[in-house]
Amino acid sequence: MNKRGLTFYLSIYRKVLIQDLKSKMSYRADFVISTIGMIMTNLAGFITFMILFHNFPTINGWDYHHMLFLYGFSLVALTPVQCFFDNNWNLRFMVQSGDFIKYCFRPINVFFYFMSEVFDVKGLGQLAFGLGTLIYAWHHTGIPVTILTVSQAILFLLTASLFMIAIMNAAAATCFWIQGSGYVMVIMFRFKDFAKYPANIFSGIFKVVFTFIIPIAFVAYYPSLVLLTPSSVPLLSWLSPAIGILFFFLSYKFWMLGVSKYDFTGS
Amino acid sequence: MADEAILMKNVCKDFKVLNRHEGLKGSIQDLFSRDYRTVSAVKDVSVTVNKGEIVGYLGPNGAGKSTTIKMMTGVLEPTSGQILVNGLVPYKDRTRNCENIGVVFGQRSQLWWSLPLIESFKLLRDIYLVPQKEYEDMIALYRSLVDIEPILHKPVRQMSLGQRTLSDILAAFLHNPGIVFLDEPTIGLDVSMKSKIRDLIRGLNKEKHTTVILTTHDMGDVDALCRRIVIIDKGKKIYDNDIEHLKSYFGSYRTLRMRLGDDTWEERVIDEKTTDVMEVISQMQKTHKIKDIQLQEISTEEVIKKIYEGGSL
Repeated sequence: MNKRGLTFYLSIYRKVLIQDLKSKMSYRADFVISTIGMIMTNLAGFITFMILFHNFPTINGWDYHHMLFLYGFSLVALTPVQCFFDNNWNLRFMVQSGDFIKYCFRPINVFFYFMSEVFDVKGLGQLAFGLGTLIYAWHHTGIPVTILTVSQAILFLLTASLFMIAIMNAAAATCFWIQGSGYVMVIMFRFKDFAKYPANIFSGIFKVVFTFIIPIAFVAYYPSLVLLTPSSVPLLSWLSPAIGILFFFLSYKFWMLGVSKYDFTGS
Repeated sequence: MADEAILMKNVCKDFKVLNRHEGLKGSIQDLFSRDYRTVSAVKDVSVTVNKGEIVGYLGPNGAGKSTTIKMMTGVLEPTSGQILVNGLVPYKDRTRNCENIGVVFGQRSQLWWSLPLIESFKLLRDIYLVPQKEYEDMIALYRSLVDIEPILHKPVRQMSLGQRTLSDILAAFLHNPGIVFLDEPTIGLDVSMKSKIRDLIRGLNKEKHTTVILTTHDMGDVDALCRRIVIIDKGKKIYDNDIEHLKSYFGSYRTLRMRLGDDTWEERVIDEKTTDVMEVISQMQKTHKIKDIQLQEISTEEVIKKIYEGGSL
């Protein structure tokens, strides 16, 4: 008997989200400034990208619009981790101060309860920017717009986002064991910048690392190949949804293992 | 279901602590060190708490109170021994155990920081699957016990410490749990807020027959709420009985207060069996001018202090 199934959790999340947004709206200045900040960050990233392409018209056989597609794809894929899992950044402070214990007193999943507390609105700006870029590039690369391609895009965008979520979950969960987990998170978060580039520009050891150890190549490259080169899709691309779910599941288990090992010393 | 709300039998909890070395060289050594020592936080504690009781759970800082509470709430697993809370093993059944307990940590709010209290209540109602009727009855009960109107629509972030504590206590009782754990609920509060909170806890316990486990350093809380106290020190249970019984141990003790020439009060705890009160006064008179004298029954505070200092009975 499970009184609290998926519908229960969705409805709780929706209610927390509505309340949270309501209170955020009441801080108008804060809302406006963080939105402007997000636009600036994205613009800066985009300008860097343009400058790069001004100097190198193709990278390893990828032309401007293909690269732009990958860029937009990665931005959209990075939205869920930004919007729904941003509380990971607060985890280590709460664990160190002992405040984390409060998440263990409710009859609901600790991971869910913890993540539900923060919804980062800034991610929505990134989503809009990414979607715009993706649609523009889609149009110019001449990928057909059919039910198949659109549903493939949705499926593989979701897949891609799972990898980044998994990376950040695992990075955040290290705080249950080590003190300097902030660095681990920052480094992992920096790695996401590699997601914008086709993984075939990396060679040898880097390719292996970014595919299987820290699966950055899955955050955009492998899933997007399904749309970009439909005639020669690597096996890893087709397998990426399953691998994504596996990575996410493992990161969740790792996170929860941290919770159970953590001894909540101090009061 | 049994009459016991909580059953603890020979519970022990050990922590493994890394032996840290000094200096930079020591830090590097620590990275690879497997050199752990075991610290026993709770040693062979057995306690039974009946339904509807308010039990004061006392002990000096670091005695193992929090560790015990964490084991009863299912956050920590005991190293050995048995714990049953509402008939469940808390650590194995954390989620189900949480349905039937409420927890308040004095200095840490568990409410949604940015939400008005009423919205937190509604979320808790949904999380604990409280039927609407019971929820409304509970809110009505709250209204009858304490003036909640001024805080109901206030975000927790904007509340004073007293209002926040009050809110946290109300939130802990909202799903009508069998047991509520209150960890230093009156810490840092002013006198009138303290008495308000005590009245509220007593009222809720009376109306809902909720078992309350109260840890505190404020003997005012104990005097106002608890008939029975359990004291632990260095992880061991050293006392478990009525407060009155405890006072009778120290029945021959009196607190002698003397107002000296410079208007300061001098306090002595005296055992009348071994010391003569008049003797103390005349001794004092030799060196100081005494303006006024009071002789009081020993307070709970003094009794507890004696126990903490003495280590055991």
